[in-house]
Amino acid sequence: MQNSPGSDVRTLQEIPGQSAAGPSPLIYGAMAFLSFIGLVDSIYLTVQHVTGQSVRCTIITGCSAVLSSPYATVAGQPLALIGAVAYFTVFSCAVLAAFGYKIAGKILAVIVGLMFLTTLWLLYLQAFVIKQFCQFCLVSAAVTILLTILVFIGWRRRSR
Amino acid sequence: MRRFLPFIIIIVALLAALGGFLYFKSRATSSTSGVSSTTMPTPAPTAQAGQPQISTPPVVSTNEPGATPPHAIGPASAPVTLEEFGDFQCPPCGFLHPELKKIANTYGPKVRIIFREFPLTPSHPHALTAARAAEAAGMQGKFWEMHGMIFENQRTWHSAFDARPVFEEYARAIGLNIDRYKRDVASPAVAERIFLDQKRAHALNVTGTPTVFINGKEVPFDSLPAERLGSLIDAELARIGR
Repeated sequence: MQNSPGSDVRTLQEIPGQSAAGPSPLIYGAMAFLSFIGLVDSIYLTVQHVTGQSVRCTIITGCSAVLSSPYATVAGQPLALIGAVAYFTVFSCAVLAAFGYKIAGKILAVIVGLMFLTTLWLLYLQAFVIKQFCQFCLVSAAVTILLTILVFIGWRRRSR
Repeated sequence: MRRFLPFIIIIVALLAALGGFLYFKSRATSSTSGVSSTTMPTPAPTAQAGQPQISTPPVVSTNEPGATPPHAIGPASAPVTLEEFGDFQCPPCGFLHPELKKIANTYGPKVRIIFREFPLTPSHPHALTAARAAEAAGMQGKFWEMHGMIFENQRTWHSAFDARPVFEEYARAIGLNIDRYKRDVASPAVAERIFLDQKRAHALNVTGTPTVFINGKEVPFDSLPAERLGSLIDAELARIGR
């Protein structure tokens, strides 16, 4: 079955709560993809924490210092586990938003905003308090920053 | 169908995440036996005690040399080299410490014992601090003195909120220049030595502590008590003809 540009537009307009001026499903798809990468990264770090394994860090020397710092746990729970929950929530919201659930897009923007602020705080800790960087944490930071950029792009599209 | 598709995708992602968790976990636990257990293993009963046990595991090698020169007891010309990848906060490593002292006393110049840093963080929050303290002592030629102090008093500092003052006390006790020690603990040179040892560990596929190699062959975890290690070393000496 062929898919014409016209049929694409019609499909978009048929989705409940979705407007053509808002973020496109493509942006939400990219956000879902990015948050899944963040989810895998966080799960890996959580498992390392739970099983007491050494984290394989052969690129940057600071992983041990960062992951053994008091900032790696919050209320006795690995920060990576909290990150995994956040990434899964973002993934779910992005998928729902891509299918036209407007409220999911709003929740996603709020969560990504909070994650961005947390990321800035964690980058500050690595740079100025611990004075070491961990490659897995930098991957997570990059993912969150990209998610924030996509949220911003979506917001610009909506406000046009 | 389209109505349910997002929920199906989310459920599939959730299952994939759980599967990933179990996969990473099984890989982590199957690659290392006995890591982070609280006791040394009891030697496995064997009907062929004294028989060469070490001929089975293959010799592993890597181009990663680790920190150079390594911290070693025994001459470089010793026919048997025992290389330990250890974590100062790991209880089995603490139990291995007196076993290796027995080996050093029994075999003297026939065995060279090398200690490599492999701090298991974040599960052992003081492991890296301890490794830095030992390496800083090494900068003043007293690595083994600090190594002994840290392992022999592991229970004292294990649950301390901040282990650094404890290690400073040990530094004073073994007669280090304390100002230099404080500088060295945070120095890039010390961080680099730990990093190089970790790189060697990863290259040798070491994932837990204590991991011991005898002439490049990994020793099973249940063979780490001195009597078992002794029989492995004897077998290796016999194989070499020394």
